[in-house]
Amino acid sequence: MSPHENRPREDGLPQDPQDMKLMIHALVDGELDAAAALAVERRMAADPELAAEHARLVALRGAVANVPRQTVRDDFLARIAAIAEVSGTDEAVQSTAVKAQSQPQQQQGNVVEMRPRAARWFNSFDWRQMAASIVLTAFLASGATQWLATADNRADSFAVAVANGHRRSLLAATPVDIVSSDRHTVKPWLDGRIGVSPAAPDMAKDGYALLGGRVEVIGDRPMPALVYRHHEHLITLVAAPRQNEAKSVPVADDLSAGGFLLVHWTDDAFSYWAISDAERPALDDFVARFRAAIIANPAAGSPG
Amino acid sequence: MAGAPDGGTVLSEKMLAARFAEVVLPHLSDALSLARWLTGNQADAEDVVQEACLKAHAGIAGFAGGNPRAWLLTIVRNASYTWMARNRPRSVVAVGDLADLDDVSPPPDTDADSPEAALIAKANSAAVEGAIAKLPQAFRETLVLRDINGLSYREIAAMLGVPQGTVMSRLARARGLLMTELGGRHEPA
Repeated sequence: MSPHENRPREDGLPQDPQDMKLMIHALVDGELDAAAALAVERRMAADPELAAEHARLVALRGAVANVPRQTVRDDFLARIAAIAEVSGTDEAVQSTAVKAQSQPQQQQGNVVEMRPRAARWFNSFDWRQMAASIVLTAFLASGATQWLATADNRADSFAVAVANGHRRSLLAATPVDIVSSDRHTVKPWLDGRIGVSPAAPDMAKDGYALLGGRVEVIGDRPMPALVYRHHEHLITLVAAPRQNEAKSVPVADDLSAGGFLLVHWTDDAFSYWAISDAERPALDDFVARFRAAIIANPAAGSPG
Repeated sequence: MAGAPDGGTVLSEKMLAARFAEVVLPHLSDALSLARWLTGNQADAEDVVQEACLKAHAGIAGFAGGNPRAWLLTIVRNASYTWMARNRPRSVVAVGDLADLDDVSPPPDTDADSPEAALIAKANSAAVEGAIAKLPQAFRETLVLRDINGLSYREIAAMLGVPQGTVMSRLARARGLLMTELGGRHEPA
């Protein structure tokens, strides 16, 4: 460090030219926050060499991006997709066969499919023997899926949207927009944002602590969502305001979507979707306690 | 209420299959890319990815959120090195070599002209692929994870088990070498 430059720069960026270059890389990679990015851009504006390095990096990134991506051949995809299906073949054939015969109203525990593309078996490998049973499975499963999808398409896509929202919340920095275990905070916040709020009882005593709330947008409608914690599992409860045409589901309906378990039910005001990666008994228990809490304390459920 | 031991989630076979379909299958292209650049050829890449997917399936219940691509690529990377150790023991880079590589000083970078950027931008895919293939393993791996697989510095650091600063310097070195190669900055010795 030279004597005349021992005062740290005010923009907080490194003085070492090599380290400064790393900052240019970080800028190109979108790894800097807005303040740091601004500081780096200012340095670049004042230093043609840094600007040239930036131009080269952007050019290089473009060149690398143009390298053709690896394509996934259909038979390879089928081979990989079969990994998951082989182990459950017998069970799957049985359950889909049973499902195909059961009545349309009975949809307890049905799976909202996010299936891989149907397997194709043109190439001969040593796994060919499995092919027959897998094709049978796929045929039965896709038949059942199609039938389920047409029977209750709207509910299915809604369940998938709820699952996606829940998954996104697990990946986000925080699963809630408003952090509070107090319904007197959560409800007004939701009311202020979207003009509607469900009952938000804190059930910490029962092992389901209210973490807060967030807004989910499903279809084209914003909806309130409450987030509860049960041990290390998060439970998202989406409360869609009932619309006239929505069918009534007074008895909780067990569903699943995208690898998560769901419970769906309705009351007079809302259509509820509870989703979690907790196990089924815990989720059912949560739903039972939530419903009991609303009935026990209707004030918590009235708007405002 | 029924608490599962160790917070383990009881999932049926079917749930696991659904999760596998959602977590693993969408990222096969990235998995193949990484395996292709680590093993050096496409046919081996499929073998490696298939092995990795078997492991991913066995461990799918343990996937607890986070970036599924990073999760899968970590398995693919391990599978690649296991595969290479078995099939091409000579080509595997010893761990000691990595530290040495990190000490190498960056290439000199004297004149900075914008025509160079134009040259780089014009480089055809074959030239880019060739340049990537020529990179030392540790640099190539970092570059592929960032610029082809699109992982963040933090995800790469976690995967490689190195500090984020090391990821940044390896990435800068890798790109420096590529820019030299593609921009024709220095005559080949």
